[in-house]
Amino acid sequence: MPTKINTSVVGKEYPPYVVTVERGKIKEFARAIGDLNPLYLDDRVGQASEWGDIIAPPTFATTFRDETADTSVLLRDLGTDISRVLHGEQEFELARPIQPGHTYVCRSRILDIYEKTGKSGPMAFVVRETAITDRHNEIVGTMRHITVVRL
Amino acid sequence: MKYAKVYFEDVKVGDELPPLVKGPIQQIQLTRYAGASGDFNPIHQDDEFAKAAGMGGVFAHGMLSMGFVAQAVTDWAGAGRVRKLGVRFAALVRLKDTVTCRGRVLSTSQKDGLNLVELEIWAENQKAEKVVTGKAIVALIARD
Repeated sequence: MPTKINTSVVGKEYPPYVVTVERGKIKEFARAIGDLNPLYLDDRVGQASEWGDIIAPPTFATTFRDETADTSVLLRDLGTDISRVLHGEQEFELARPIQPGHTYVCRSRILDIYEKTGKSGPMAFVVRETAITDRHNEIVGTMRHITVVRL
Repeated sequence: MKYAKVYFEDVKVGDELPPLVKGPIQQIQLTRYAGASGDFNPIHQDDEFAKAAGMGGVFAHGMLSMGFVAQAVTDWAGAGRVRKLGVRFAALVRLKDTVTCRGRVLSTSQKDGLNLVELEIWAENQKAEKVVTGKAIVALIARD
């Protein structure tokens, strides 16, 4: 008997949260991937670049989290638990790189939920989007995240 | 070749990115990525938990594989050039797997003063199974 998830959360917007990017966190993230690009790791190379400082790798915004809008909140809203979910798809759109010392505002919402039956049975696809803006309210990037729930 | 500059004028449809080989994946890298990313899902750390969840054991964060694919793109295009990166996680990456990231130029265009190159990107394991598939758009510098 497949489980049900709460699809009434489509359209839900989570409270905006603020992230100030730490220099060391960018370096830790790049090193964890094993990407030793000097534009991520070497302050002097960053200062000499067109960005005037080091930049973050393209997927760095995945570290932007807040306990009011994270996966545990999503799972609670859906009525499921972490052992049933997989990461289905992910997309980043970036107007410019994320940089240390900058403060960003993240606004997440649930765009859509649809169901499909795959090889391993019925699954729900939960589409979330997080808009990232800077302190002047200009868009810096957008993340789209599809969580797959095994029903 | 590493961190070489690629200029927009030199890019042709069908050009392939130099393959980037990552791994073999070790548990310590998954633990390190959990700490760096803040994704502490036990399914990537705790074999008993992953087995009880029906996943047959721990597997890598999809976002780690996406980070590998992003590196293949930025090693070629330059860091800071990525405008869009979208992937589907097609298969699980397991411990001891080797992940080879590849890409190919699909199209080039100029829009709003940007020199855009669209790429097909993917990653495959040592059995040549695709684990990540997707597309990227990079904005390249011009030769002037």
